[in-house]
Amino acid sequence: MPKVKVDGVELEVPAGATVLQACELAGKEIPRFCYHERLSIAGNCRMCLVEVKPGPPKPQASCALPASEGQEIRTDSEMVKKAREGVMEFLLINHPLDCPICDQGGECDLQDQSVAYGRGSSRYHEHKRAVTEKYMGPLIKTVMTRCIHCTRCVRFSEEIAGVDEIGALYRGEATQISTYLEKAAKHEMSANVIDLCPVGALTSRPYAFEARPWELKKTLSIDVSDAIGANIRVDARGREVLRILPRINDDVNEEWISDKGRYMADGLGKRRLDRPYIRLDGKLVPVSWAEALAAVAKIAPGNSVAAVAGDMVDAETMFAAKKLVNALGGSLLEGRQTGLAYDCSNLAAVNFNTTLNGIETADAILIVGSHIRWEAPLLNARLRKAVKRGAKVFVIGPKWDTTFPAEFLGEDADILNLLPAHVWAALNGAARPALIIGGAALAKGALEVGLSIAEQLKLVRTLDDGTVWNGFNVLHMAASRMASLMLGYAQKGGIADLVAAKPKMLLSLGADEVDYTKFADSMIVYVGHHGDKGAHAADVILPAAAFTEKSGTYVNTEGRVQIADQAVFAPGEAREDWTILRAMADALGVNVGFDSFDELRAAMTAAVPALGVEGLADYGALPTGVTGKAAGTIAYPIKDFYLTNPVARASETLQRCSAELLHGAEPQAEAAE
Amino acid sequence: MTAFFQSVFGWSYELAWFLSTIAGILLIALPLMLGVAMIIYVDRKIWAAMALRRGPNVVGPLGILQSFADGLKVFLQETIVPTAANKSIFVIGPIVTFTVTLLAWAVIPFNSGAILADINVGLLYVLAISSLGVYGTIMAGWASNSKYPFFSAMRASAQMISYEVSIGFILICVVLWAGSFNLGTIVEAQRGHVFGIINGFVANPLLFPMWVMFLISGMAETQRAPFDLTEAESELVAGYQTEYSSMAFALFWLGEYGNVLLMCALNATLFWGGYLPPLDIPVLYLVPGVVWLLLKIFFFFFIFSWVKATVPRYRYDQLMRLGWKVFLPVSLLFVVLVSGYLMYTGHFA
Amino acid sequence: MTVGQLIKSFTLWEFVKAHWLTLKYFFKPKATINYPFEKNPLSPRFRGEHALRRYPNGEERCIACKLCEAICPAQAITIEAAPRGEDGSRRTTRYDIDMTKCIFCGFCQEACPVDAIVEGPNFEYATETRAELLYDKAKLLANGDKWERAIAANLEADAAYR
Repeated sequence: MPKVKVDGVELEVPAGATVLQACELAGKEIPRFCYHERLSIAGNCRMCLVEVKPGPPKPQASCALPASEGQEIRTDSEMVKKAREGVMEFLLINHPLDCPICDQGGECDLQDQSVAYGRGSSRYHEHKRAVTEKYMGPLIKTVMTRCIHCTRCVRFSEEIAGVDEIGALYRGEATQISTYLEKAAKHEMSANVIDLCPVGALTSRPYAFEARPWELKKTLSIDVSDAIGANIRVDARGREVLRILPRINDDVNEEWISDKGRYMADGLGKRRLDRPYIRLDGKLVPVSWAEALAAVAKIAPGNSVAAVAGDMVDAETMFAAKKLVNALGGSLLEGRQTGLAYDCSNLAAVNFNTTLNGIETADAILIVGSHIRWEAPLLNARLRKAVKRGAKVFVIGPKWDTTFPAEFLGEDADILNLLPAHVWAALNGAARPALIIGGAALAKGALEVGLSIAEQLKLVRTLDDGTVWNGFNVLHMAASRMASLMLGYAQKGGIADLVAAKPKMLLSLGADEVDYTKFADSMIVYVGHHGDKGAHAADVILPAAAFTEKSGTYVNTEGRVQIADQAVFAPGEAREDWTILRAMADALGVNVGFDSFDELRAAMTAAVPALGVEGLADYGALPTGVTGKAAGTIAYPIKDFYLTNPVARASETLQRCSAELLHGAEPQAEAAE
Repeated sequence: MTAFFQSVFGWSYELAWFLSTIAGILLIALPLMLGVAMIIYVDRKIWAAMALRRGPNVVGPLGILQSFADGLKVFLQETIVPTAANKSIFVIGPIVTFTVTLLAWAVIPFNSGAILADINVGLLYVLAISSLGVYGTIMAGWASNSKYPFFSAMRASAQMISYEVSIGFILICVVLWAGSFNLGTIVEAQRGHVFGIINGFVANPLLFPMWVMFLISGMAETQRAPFDLTEAESELVAGYQTEYSSMAFALFWLGEYGNVLLMCALNATLFWGGYLPPLDIPVLYLVPGVVWLLLKIFFFFFIFSWVKATVPRYRYDQLMRLGWKVFLPVSLLFVVLVSGYLMYTGHFA
Repeated sequence: MTVGQLIKSFTLWEFVKAHWLTLKYFFKPKATINYPFEKNPLSPRFRGEHALRRYPNGEERCIACKLCEAICPAQAITIEAAPRGEDGSRRTTRYDIDMTKCIFCGFCQEACPVDAIVEGPNFEYATETRAELLYDKAKLLANGDKWERAIAANLEADAAYR
């Protein structure tokens, strides 16, 4: 723990800290461009210069200098001020003065820091450098003349994403950043370089020129594109969501989000159900709310009612629907739309127990039936970190393009029943072994086998430092899954139980993956927001709010309860889901016991207290003595990463991503600027 | 004129009298309306000039047709009667104001013998009629059923009653000296009144202060600035006219300016020798008496405008104080002085 | 009250003085001009009706940076931007000024980095309806074309002091 002096204030900093970190601990702001907490240190922008004694009599780059005992650091001296001004002047020499047409304007590090630390005016009268634009795919727009060569994007794709897509060409003043052969960046998290870029060189292509940061209303929300529950910020103007940005949460998403979560925003305004419909003579016709609710009343299902929850609904909606079904005398609730029927009697057995943060420290990982890159890109980044620390990764399932060394053991789930000896040895010999069971494996009965392996390998153990390690993980794909299981949206036989019951009314909460042909005898009431598969099968459509248009509680795959706020209002006549369910209760003549959102939330937390506390829910211990057999060839459920949910399917950006990045369509001709 | 009709057309006396009276009324009323229109323009011009402005200058040469343009505009406007108004009284109000203004002109002598109604109590008639004028205002204020017009009507009645008291005493001085209520006789009484050469009571040291008070009271009586408290826009929007539009509004305007002209004519008639030339010199009698009268009216109107451009509006308590605590005692004093002087000198003997 | 004051009061001396003053003014030359036929000279900095300018080659100057929208204290400006079809350059798809909100402070032209939005010398743009005062981009560009010579001359005259 070296002691250093920053601007005359003595403080102790952790061993291995850099001078820049020491200054931050002292509360001093150090300007920087290339330095980033989650990336390796490059030390090439020179903006973080400080004066350090003892040392050479010149300013030193604080980001690359380790803090050591007895250092005297000055961030406020004349030398530092002059050094910063000089560096800034050099950076601006080749930077165009096009802030007014730059999308980064208003949230640009270079802009802010040149105001704060730069000289008032330029002394440069020579020609400025110009660089041709590089094609980086449908998401990233480039204006490479603005690039200041901080190489954050290069380091991101190399270190976090694990794909060597972006690099620097040539040297000195001629340096250019480009993707390899100017191919599109294909990684699932590629758009994070837009946030990383401290200038306007890499900007969001779909968001180009849409808005200025000061026009946007910022709302804290939760990503629902997968079960990770990334923390996001929804930027909206008026009634329109313009973009989604990641929020920092080291326990969940660090500061990244997947491209799907980011560009789902473009689908929020398209294909929306903005008024009620009912099916008359086989055709859906638009009607008023009163007529739609009257149609619901006409179904008069009695207690022959069932509800199926979609992948993106919040806990409150599911709870309200549960109350409605229960009030009608029914009890058939299901959330696993595609027919999975794993045992949910113990929620710890279907949870990602290691936690997203914890998996980084695992040293042997067996993945069963999960295309992690597509099912949870953010988890993939964590796994890559674990592998970089030395973890061994084995995968049972069809091959996919990992971003880290991994051994594929085969496609048959049967392998899990009797693991190869070297795999068993690796897991057995590991201090922190982990098992990740994906949705594809759950369909093949892998849960029971996994639990017995967990018991045999003692995946739950107390580590040397006294903390408890739980290496048993189930990775879900739906944002609503854990909450739905907590609320009892699980029948013993899965959705087959609902089919067998032949309910008169099937309440579909934005469920678009259900095979509705099996419910041909039921009246299907669809409460959802996009005109997708569920709406096509519906007899009554009640337009509801998408995830940005309502407050709600979500539980991610590791059992973390998170609350999202409402960013905008639902379009047209669409209403928040709980109000629709409340109105349905009136139409059907039953009492659900809540009249406001607060009452609903209070009733929900009374029923399931864990949903009322933000943070990890406690599901208890893993079940013991479980045995079973896994069988069948594993097939990953996600066929197209970019189009897994109705919002994403409605997003033009993601459609284009799918066509261009996955199906090899030609890049759309983009007019040169 | 009656005799003229009788002799030329051979009509009966009754028909001739009737027609000649109608002709006389038209002869006075029509030029009066025209005069009012022009005098509004003149008022605006004078007022503008004293504020270093130009005033109306677009409609017609030098803007001379401005009043007619305004009249046309007002005529084309929609007549709005507020829902809550007392409709019949609301409509009658402006008509009363306008009619009463015209009525008073019946006894003004335009020249020797040129007088529509040569009645021996002309001055009393004028006082009576001008007292009626306030009814139009009160009716408008009451019928509008709106608070500002109502306040305005209350102010107007109090103000007019207050100043009519002192005007009454002032006129008594004039009547005492002239020895008649007939306006024609009063004018004739002024012929060579001072030093046998100046035509007009105004040069009489005992009557000059009376004239000043009469001028000021006249402004108060006609609700001209600086006594235009009934229309004090900063307090009462537009006073009793607030709810009026179109022709009803125009009638108020015509009535108001008709009253101002009447007051100017009374000033001229009672103190400045009416249709007589200023000096009792035969040459001046070559100019017709009506011209002298009109010149005098115009001169007084200029004074009215001049005062309007110069003196800021009085506060209501100041107005009341001036009327009751200054003008009333002073005019009473002068009644005593004048009658005392006349008794002493044996004027009535 | 002194005797002097009493005399002054009874002779209405203050009034006489005041009327003498106004009478003098009556004969003075007029301070106002014969407006529709004569006009006062305008400063190059006069802030009148807004206009959107073009470059001499006909390209509109505005680049949709939205600084005018941000600075506008009356929030009279509404801008929407998008890449232009033919060349992908940053352009406005909507540029509205609510002239009934505008307070003519001139901040928009101060904020504009390309001298696109300017307040021209025109102040005679009264309209018959309120809706006509909600200017859109076409109207503003038309204003720019109409007043370009005067605006350019004004900007040049003022350039030395900027």
